[in-house]
Amino acid sequence: MLAYLLLLVPTPPLAGFVLLALDPYRLDRRAVRAAALVAGCAPLVVMAPMALAHLTKFWGDQIAPIFTLHVGNYEVALAVGLDTLSAVTALTVTFVSACVLIYALDYMSGARNADLRRFFALMNLFQAGMLSMVLAADSITFFLGWELMGLCSFFLISYNMTSPRAFAAGQKAFVITRIADAALLAGLLLLFLEAGSVRLAELIPAGAALDTARGPLIAALLLVGAMGKSAQFPFHTWLPTAMAGPTPVSALLHSATMVAAGAVLLARFAPVLAANDSVAAATAVAGVVTALFGAASAVAQTDVKRLLAYSSISQIGYMLVAVGVGVPAVAMAHFVVHALFKSLLFMASGVLAHAGAGGTSIAALRGTARRAPISFAAFAAGAASLAGLPLVTAGWWSKEAILASAFEAGWLGLGVWAVGLTAAALTAVYAFRPVFTALRAPETETPRGRESWLAVGPLVVLAVLALAGGLGVKPLTELLGGHPPHPALWVELAGAAAALLGIAGSAAVTFLPALAGRVARARRLRAGLQMDARYYALLVRPYRRFVRRLSGGRGEWVTRVVAPGRGTEGVERELEGAVRHARQPEGATSDPVGQATVVLGLWVWRALLLPFSPDRMDMAWMQGARGIGRAAERARRLQTGRVRDYALALALGLAALLLIGWGMTWR
Amino acid sequence: MTGVSVLLAIAAGLFAAGLFGVLARRTILMQLISLEIMLAGPALAFVAAGAHHGMVEGTAMFLIVLALAAAEVALGLAIYLQLRRDAGDGDADAARRLRG
Repeated sequence: MLAYLLLLVPTPPLAGFVLLALDPYRLDRRAVRAAALVAGCAPLVVMAPMALAHLTKFWGDQIAPIFTLHVGNYEVALAVGLDTLSAVTALTVTFVSACVLIYALDYMSGARNADLRRFFALMNLFQAGMLSMVLAADSITFFLGWELMGLCSFFLISYNMTSPRAFAAGQKAFVITRIADAALLAGLLLLFLEAGSVRLAELIPAGAALDTARGPLIAALLLVGAMGKSAQFPFHTWLPTAMAGPTPVSALLHSATMVAAGAVLLARFAPVLAANDSVAAATAVAGVVTALFGAASAVAQTDVKRLLAYSSISQIGYMLVAVGVGVPAVAMAHFVVHALFKSLLFMASGVLAHAGAGGTSIAALRGTARRAPISFAAFAAGAASLAGLPLVTAGWWSKEAILASAFEAGWLGLGVWAVGLTAAALTAVYAFRPVFTALRAPETETPRGRESWLAVGPLVVLAVLALAGGLGVKPLTELLGGHPPHPALWVELAGAAAALLGIAGSAAVTFLPALAGRVARARRLRAGLQMDARYYALLVRPYRRFVRRLSGGRGEWVTRVVAPGRGTEGVERELEGAVRHARQPEGATSDPVGQATVVLGLWVWRALLLPFSPDRMDMAWMQGARGIGRAAERARRLQTGRVRDYALALALGLAALLLIGWGMTWR
Repeated sequence: MTGVSVLLAIAAGLFAAGLFGVLARRTILMQLISLEIMLAGPALAFVAAGAHHGMVEGTAMFLIVLALAAAEVALGLAIYLQLRRDAGDGDADAARRLRG
């Protein structure tokens, strides 16, 4: 029965969302903040003891069935469950999201014209989505949480509704992740057909045991789904533009939860991937290509948030590498560490941007080290962890484990290791660019600003964990059932050298004007190899043209035809006739029930359907409806009323049946 | 052709002839007679098959077909009389009030 406590993890944020979204009490700002805080931190309070009890082997694997339905040989069984993977990820997610919410209380109250209610309602709903995905023990709950996150990411990225840029960014994120989600859904459904159950405990072994051509297909579909959500290489374009959302949104969605969900998915379904060597190799290659691409693009960024976005893309590429070379446990260790330092970096950059000259460009950070020293120190700790400063940071331990695992994984792994090492050096280059810029003397001397403890508190906690968390990487890997790699000394030294070399390169890029100018001119790289523009030219523009052609140019079709109301007036006339008929029945008794439905139908028609003026789509629809009438007109001619014709039809039908029956027995 | 095949062929011929009668004749009485011929075809097939396999079920089925034919004739004649009273003659094509 204690397992049902798991339901209390996603429910408080969901309740917070319902309360804030419906808002029956017209809460004031303070009450909104309090409700969001309680709803956002309650999951941590519930989850932490349970996760710790499980991770210390005090409490075994748990499963709490919610709903079960048997249909033939298939079983639909919704449940939440607790195993090592969900304990680790749920603990990380609850912890990071609680930190982000506390930070957001301060950050958002400073923003002008902020609709706090909408913001926190969506943040809470997002939390609920991620938690139900992480804790799901069946593919339906998993997919539900996954989609809920996609929806919330759209609303949160386009939170600033007055900005067309933010709106376009949200739309792009929604559409691109949706394309990949279709692949994920197809994969999960195929897996369901194979296993006959939606329980992950049965799905995954069934998927791993497949030896037909469906095995690689399912694994590849899952991989595509994960790559879309995690913004991996061909799908990466949505993440950098998604930085149009407020900083806490970036800290929550684009560091620890939403983009990392793809890595969680792959770690969850790792046995399916491991059973298909080609797909596993594709995962590793896609991961390392993205890692290198993201790191190279991040070096050329001039905006600190976009830099961090590309860094997220790159770091999740490392997680894919780990899953691809067969060590999902190491991937999850990196997931935990990355969640800690990346949310820290986002939040600290938000404080620094406020303290600086305004705006989130890297150049505007000059001198912020003196104005906001605590936040700067936290940012530097996060950057060190991201860059993988040897021995003293958590990031070094987890990234080194990934690289060493790749090194030990055959000849393909060797190539992956080499590319990953290059990417690691580039990571150090971009990670320290904002740090060194912030250290430079400001152009105008300003006094030290005040740092709110609400904002700084989470930063300090996260900074300590981002540095000291390295001690936890090895035990975490073993807990998750993985074996920490034991690389040769020179491999570890190469990793350390890459990081140190990168930091030196970062200093050079920041302080040497020649190199800085070169970075500033790397426009192609900054735009992520202009994949965005290519997608626009290849896919978006033709689609828009197609839609415009369907709706008739610039809408002149609408003004021409809608005025007399053609295409819809017939429906209205018939409805009005029905009303008249219902009001003046031929018999003596009136029919209030029938009248009510017709009046209601007419009202719905007038209120809801009429405002949508008909375009060509509507016309096509009405044509189809009229076509049915014409078809009926033809079909009634068959009804001659002559018995002999019917007898002929019967005889022909019998003959056809006999022919079919004969054909069926014919071999 | 063995004996049973000949009988089955005759049965099929009876059925086809009856069907042709139903489709070609307009007089209801003639159509009813054609229906009787149609029923005789399967009845013959039942008997032939029963004799071929040495089973009594074929003959039993023939009795059922006989009962069916009697019921059908009773109903058919009732309809015929009703139509004569309504339309005045026995033309099947004249009774087409169900035309769509």
